[in-house]
Amino acid sequence: MSQTSTPKNACLQWFGKQGYRFAPAIFFISLIIVWELGCTLGHVPQYILPSPSSIVHAFFNVEFSRWMTHLWATLRVALMGFGLSILISLPLSIAMIRSELLNRTLYPMLIVIQSTPVVAVAPLIIVLMGTGDPSRVLITCLITFFPMVVSTTTGMLETPPELIELSKSLRAPRYRETWQIRIPYAIPHIFSGLRISITLAIIGAVVAEFVAAEQGLGYFIQFSTSFFKIPQAFAGLIFLSAISLLLFKSVQWIQMWLFPWSLPKKK
Amino acid sequence: MKKLTRLSFIAIAVAISGSAFAADKVTFQLDWLPGGDKAPVYVGIQQGFFKAVGIDVKIASGRGSTDAVTKIATGQSDVGSSDIGALMAARAQDKVPVSAVLSYFTEAPHAFYVLDSSGINSIKDLKGKKIATSPFTSSNAFLPLVLKENGVPIDSIKLTKVDPGALGPMLMIGNTQAIIAWVTNTALFEQQAAQAGKKIKVLPWSEGGLSLYSSALLASDKFLEKRPDVAKRFIKAYAQSVKFTFDHPDKAGLDLHKMVPEVDAKIAAAQIASIHNLVYNKITQEDGFGALTPKRIAATWKYVAEANNLSPDSLDPESIVNRHFIPKNK
Repeated sequence: MSQTSTPKNACLQWFGKQGYRFAPAIFFISLIIVWELGCTLGHVPQYILPSPSSIVHAFFNVEFSRWMTHLWATLRVALMGFGLSILISLPLSIAMIRSELLNRTLYPMLIVIQSTPVVAVAPLIIVLMGTGDPSRVLITCLITFFPMVVSTTTGMLETPPELIELSKSLRAPRYRETWQIRIPYAIPHIFSGLRISITLAIIGAVVAEFVAAEQGLGYFIQFSTSFFKIPQAFAGLIFLSAISLLLFKSVQWIQMWLFPWSLPKKK
Repeated sequence: MKKLTRLSFIAIAVAISGSAFAADKVTFQLDWLPGGDKAPVYVGIQQGFFKAVGIDVKIASGRGSTDAVTKIATGQSDVGSSDIGALMAARAQDKVPVSAVLSYFTEAPHAFYVLDSSGINSIKDLKGKKIATSPFTSSNAFLPLVLKENGVPIDSIKLTKVDPGALGPMLMIGNTQAIIAWVTNTALFEQQAAQAGKKIKVLPWSEGGLSLYSSALLASDKFLEKRPDVAKRFIKAYAQSVKFTFDHPDKAGLDLHKMVPEVDAKIAAAQIASIHNLVYNKITQEDGFGALTPKRIAATWKYVAEANNLSPDSLDPESIVNRHFIPKNK
């Protein structure tokens, strides 16, 4: 009897299954509804917590071209800083793997740089390098390159020692050892570093905009709060997080596209 | 890249307006983000006052008075608007190559805001009250002075420091009984109060005995020495822009909105109207617009020195002023 299911049971089962499948979306939507109802029924003033509908309204109140201008300003700096950190961190990691001396000299320096709060250094960088792009890119780079160096180095160190032994016994040159054994082994680590760094790149660009900028989403948010346009600030914030998520996903897509073998096996 | 886009923007603007001669370039430093009180320079560009004297103006936003002074001192900007007190404090501690060339606010913009229903009618009534302020405002330095002038012991008030964006909401909810902000914010706070169904009252410090120069036009000494002719033309056009701004707040709001679409033209116009008294008042009537009189400069320094715990002898206040560029009043 237990094998045969009544139509009612089947219906329940179907709902249960769909509910499980869409659980994240349902949770997210209910959260928005609760937020909206809480704001409307509780008469929460906009300047304390704007309702989702007022945020959407504020979003569409700003011209599309303005959004694009601000988005481009932030994205450009974030990507340039991110690119610069890749250019710095990869050779740096290889150098540190190859030479114990470099490792011992550079590593403490890197930790010092990492433990200096960039938010505090940013105004000094602006004074030194001016208010143009170079200073903003440097601020972004400072905030992003450490996770990359650490994960790349860790990845290369985790190469099975037998393989290194083997390549040595076959008299493979050092560059082949690096490029054909160590780097491929480090790919999953490199990409996890890249994923952390890309979201940090957005934070870096926003920090830089807080200190000096005429454009960009960080500037836009600061600007909106200076005029107490809280819904508009929230709209900027949500837009910024969406971009950050998209970039995070893009790094995953690039990994899937270029190095599908480096992804964890699906069960 | 950004410079390029900005330059091309200026290039297009010049091309459209049809002028063929090479204009002198001047970078103008704001001490904060664009807003009604910063409108004159935008008005000057939109109304063509700077173009008429052959000057191309680029505007850079700032993050506070000291930030603006630093950027003018390091040559990132040629001229800008900032608190004259910040310049005095900087000059007392270091030889910053920046001078004040024209007054803008001849009264201080600092103020207390309270709810209409609070029963607080003057600064004297603040004894024992909770007051909120933002961490980096120049007002904080002057707070002990204005309290002293009004017989309120500093340790009788409970002072908290919060993000500027939180000040208005805190007052409306009743988390604090008074907040400290510039009178330039009046229009914005009124808007917030209306949302909460409340009314606010402004208690300007200038009416509480704190009478001094505040925002002024500052210029880098290098700019004044190397390009005195450009400086002269710029300052003249700037003075003209200030006059136009306060004669036509609505047009000024629109001009600002045209260049910075994020600024609401109506709010900007309301801000301009609300600070009219800082720019045009008894002092301006007596001394003329833009004047920097030795007597008031000395009085301002006395306040600034006391507020910043500086020795009154650490600076000859006259040394920060350069009066060669003040346009002659009709």
